[in-house]
Amino acid sequence: MNQQNDVLLEVRGLVKHFPLRRSLKQVLQGQRPAVRAVDGVDFFVRRGEIFGLVGESGSGKTTTGRTLLRLDEPTAGQIIFDGQDIARLDAEGMRKLRRRMQIVFQDPYDSMNPNMDVFSIVAEPLRIQGLDKDPEEVERRVVQALEDVELTPAEEYMYRYPKELSGGQRQRIAIARALVLEPDFIVADEPVSMLDVSIRGEILKILMRLVKERGLSLLFITHDLALARHFCDRVAVMYLGQIVEYSDSNSLVKRPHHPYTQALMRAVLSTDPRRKHIYTGLKGEIPNPANPPSGCRLHPRCPLATDLCKQQAPELTEHAPGHWAACHHVERSLAQLAEQRREAAGSAG
Amino acid sequence: MSTNTRKRKSALREVWDEYKRSPQGMFGLVLFLIFLFIGVGAPLLTPYDPLEDRGLADSMARPAWMRFFPKYRNAPVTVDALSLRDWNVTVEENVRLEWGQRGEEEVLFVSPAGPGPARFVMEYSFDYHSDPPDTFILQVPYSFEGDTGVTGRAAIVLVDPSGDEYRMWESRVMRNQVRWTTQRVDSRDMQLKTRLGFRPLANLAHELIDEKGEYRFLLQFEIDGADDEKGATVTVGQSRFRIPGRLHGPLGTDHLGADLWAQFVYGTRTSLTIGFIVAALAVVVGTLVGIVSGYFGGWVDELLMRLVDVLIAIPFLPILIVFVAVVGKSISTLVVLVAIFSWMSIARLVRSQTLTLRERTFVEAARAAGAGPRYIMKTHILPNVLGLVFAALVLLIPSAIVTEATLSFLGFGDPRVPTWGRMLQNAKSFGAFTELAWWWILPPGLALTILAMAFVFIGNTLDDILNRRSSER
Amino acid sequence: MGRLVVSDLQMHYKTRKGNVRAVDKVSFTLEPGRALGVVGESGCGKSSLGLTLLRLLPKNGEVVGGSIRLGDQELLQLTDEEFRKNVRWTKMSMVFQGAMNALNPVLTVGSQIAEAIVAHEQTSKKEAAARARQLLEMVGINPDRYHHYPHQFSGGMKQRAVIAMALACNPQIVIADEPTTALDVMVQAQVLKAMADLRERLGLSMILVSHDLSVVAQTCDDVAVMYAGRIVEYGPVEEVFTNPLHPYTQGLTQAFPDIDAERAPIVSIPGTPPNLINPPAGCRFHPRCPLADEACRRIDPELAEKGRAGHKVACLKVSDDGQAAEVKFA
Repeated sequence: MNQQNDVLLEVRGLVKHFPLRRSLKQVLQGQRPAVRAVDGVDFFVRRGEIFGLVGESGSGKTTTGRTLLRLDEPTAGQIIFDGQDIARLDAEGMRKLRRRMQIVFQDPYDSMNPNMDVFSIVAEPLRIQGLDKDPEEVERRVVQALEDVELTPAEEYMYRYPKELSGGQRQRIAIARALVLEPDFIVADEPVSMLDVSIRGEILKILMRLVKERGLSLLFITHDLALARHFCDRVAVMYLGQIVEYSDSNSLVKRPHHPYTQALMRAVLSTDPRRKHIYTGLKGEIPNPANPPSGCRLHPRCPLATDLCKQQAPELTEHAPGHWAACHHVERSLAQLAEQRREAAGSAG
Repeated sequence: MSTNTRKRKSALREVWDEYKRSPQGMFGLVLFLIFLFIGVGAPLLTPYDPLEDRGLADSMARPAWMRFFPKYRNAPVTVDALSLRDWNVTVEENVRLEWGQRGEEEVLFVSPAGPGPARFVMEYSFDYHSDPPDTFILQVPYSFEGDTGVTGRAAIVLVDPSGDEYRMWESRVMRNQVRWTTQRVDSRDMQLKTRLGFRPLANLAHELIDEKGEYRFLLQFEIDGADDEKGATVTVGQSRFRIPGRLHGPLGTDHLGADLWAQFVYGTRTSLTIGFIVAALAVVVGTLVGIVSGYFGGWVDELLMRLVDVLIAIPFLPILIVFVAVVGKSISTLVVLVAIFSWMSIARLVRSQTLTLRERTFVEAARAAGAGPRYIMKTHILPNVLGLVFAALVLLIPSAIVTEATLSFLGFGDPRVPTWGRMLQNAKSFGAFTELAWWWILPPGLALTILAMAFVFIGNTLDDILNRRSSER
Repeated sequence: MGRLVVSDLQMHYKTRKGNVRAVDKVSFTLEPGRALGVVGESGCGKSSLGLTLLRLLPKNGEVVGGSIRLGDQELLQLTDEEFRKNVRWTKMSMVFQGAMNALNPVLTVGSQIAEAIVAHEQTSKKEAAARARQLLEMVGINPDRYHHYPHQFSGGMKQRAVIAMALACNPQIVIADEPTTALDVMVQAQVLKAMADLRERLGLSMILVSHDLSVVAQTCDDVAVMYAGRIVEYGPVEEVFTNPLHPYTQGLTQAFPDIDAERAPIVSIPGTPPNLINPPAGCRFHPRCPLADEACRRIDPELAEKGRAGHKVACLKVSDDGQAAEVKFA
């Protein structure tokens, strides 16, 4: 595989800690308590690929996305974008690079200044980047971006205000704003989770088309494994600031190696009322990321945990081609999966 | 940008549409507009200067409209002859009259037209239908210059409606030169009273002007002994006659007989100006500090907020008083000082708003596009705090006005500037409270209350609307 | 225990621009012990329906017609005072969306539940506290956590505590409005499980309002699909979700990605729900419906039983024997 050339972004050992307020005792003892939101994450995104980052709230998926764009400063690690380490870039270099990497946020109701009209909102990145010298060019690019997100005719939307638009329309404008700089890479942070189910598809189709037509790369952050399964080419599952498993989306869903991924999958409720099953396998909830468990972070909740899991953190290892998982007991885990599948088939049949 | 102005208009329009529906807000607005009209239109609303024009009527004269109450129906009104032109020449025997200048003053030169005695009488007549006045006063400036052997005489005579004559004053025989003198006839003059045969303690004005009808003051001049060679000139200056009224203008007069309406009207102007300037200064400083503090956070925030705390903790009035004592009583110092102690609430408000705005996704989006702090503060934060700041500004104005009034009342105001506080201070110092001169005390007091209330109504209404708008998105 | 019969219920929000017909001639019956799911997009009136049943409408909301009968009592005829005393919380209670944030942070969770009991029933504080412990246990929370404060609870536990609070006065019916929407999948599963167990143990009836078909599919017996203030399809959940007749229901079921299915593009229903101040004439779904024809623009279809027993649908394109064209959304 000539990986080198088609990798657009590579993340190595990315760490982001948010320092907490220290008590006097902690200051005296030299402790630096922190929320370890992202704690050593490695992955890469290919050109023209949709890469999904899946996890529950508190897993660090959003922070990872923000840190890639230096909306939060990384604590440690490398973010190599097209051969350049973003984490070490100075302010001016970063400002220039922002033309190539953009973000679409979750909340379409909050992501636009209510005092600005659609034209100003979409044109803003051009203005910030100093690409607004030629008003005709600005208008051309804004119209193009609006047409790209299927807000046509663009003239009808350009002078409206966010509050006059529906959630779906707003989210398209947010995408148009990200597109207007013609970036190579877009982070989409739960772009459809606040939209009605009936219109999610439209937004996803637009993103999909852009990826196909433009060769864009997309980092798609979501809590919804089912959505990631259908929308993403490859998916990484995060738990407590670390990636526990990643592979192409088919393989991930068909043969989840990690007990956490398995649990996450089983917890997804079926829309089919004939398959009634509410899975509550993993005990409790995600622990506090300021004080993560030792060893494998899942061990207090994991049905397969052993003493090894308590003491030693598992490494991400490739168990099948392109299928990586961080678990000491992959074999047992796969056996457990097989048994569950057999049971499910038995009860359905 | 044209689109931007279009938007701003429509946003204003929306706020106004909503504002119109609030009775409280509209009430406040109407009150404010009335005061604004009074303040702006001050020179049109009164002919007097609030500080210079004194003695316009008796001291502490009541408002003129008190005439509608039976007790004051016939209260003495002001009779005023301010200029020589108000006097009519009635007798003109062998005299030549010539108008001229003496310095700034317009004067009348009277000289014999030919040989023989010359006689000249000027008359000021007025109809008087009120109760007898307390005082009257007449001033006649004159001088005499004649060749040797030519003599002059002058006299002032009052003729009452029944025709009785009272010789108020007679000059001695004037020869050669009599320097420019102002002859005063004052009803309170004891010598005059005894000369006219009244008791020294009698009220001459009561005794003389006790009928209703036409009164005439005569100014008589005689020149004797002029011939072809020898002449003489009597120069008559601006002769004034006045009966100070007990009723005057819309709001009466103060202890100096100065017009209180004029003081009120110009005071409105000062109060509003001070209110707006102080509030504007405070808002500029407060907004700036608030945005910078809230956006940058960290030690910048810590520093600025501790400064705010210190300023809030400092007892404001004593400091102001000391400052005024050191720097002097000037209106601009006062404005700056009050502003220095007024911006903190705005800074806190703006800071907290900025803290929320800073976390809003559209700010993140701008950062993701490469925007720096200055751009974000200018484009995304400032426009979104302006609404609340405006409401806070409106609420700041009344406190600035009241603070200024307090200082003026305590005697730290600028003596050259008429303000409501000064009116109250004068009222207190010159006995308005013991005299129960309500027309002096109530207008500034009520105006302060009502204007402050108007601003609070407007501010609250705006606050409601703008808060609601900023919470919708 | 009586059944809840809602017929022709109409509720409007009065706004400056006109009346928003949020609930428009809605009828259904909730038998004791059954669970009814109400699904639809945001703005379809499903939350308003819950608020109307419990009289928790904002000031501008007004019931303009219809009836709500619980057993043999007409609830709309009660005064607000009677309703508050005799119905709300004691016969019908509610769990709101994000209700876990409604817990008072300075009071212990247990005392808040006990408080709800004391407020509605004449019991001693001691009895109430005992009941509160019992309720906590029922929703799967260790009763020893009675004295803990909300911040010591996780999100899922808080939501379960709120459910316990809704059950404080032994209501017959619980209305749950998006009870798990803000929760992660695993926590959602825990909460739904707790609710299902409770329902079984106490024989509760439930109305579950949700945008999430899977939640309704897993927890309800019947389902009402709402669109633009109306129920467009109604029936047993197995029947409606496996054999959806109304084009809108078909669209909704297709729009939900199934994790077990082969990878496929995600489907959407084009357009947006209509403005309820001035809804479209005829069938309200016609502007978004691929099957719409002239008749759909003119005739407002009635909700009627078609095909299998209990399966009602309001669509002109569904034949009387329950044959519907299959609609493929892209």
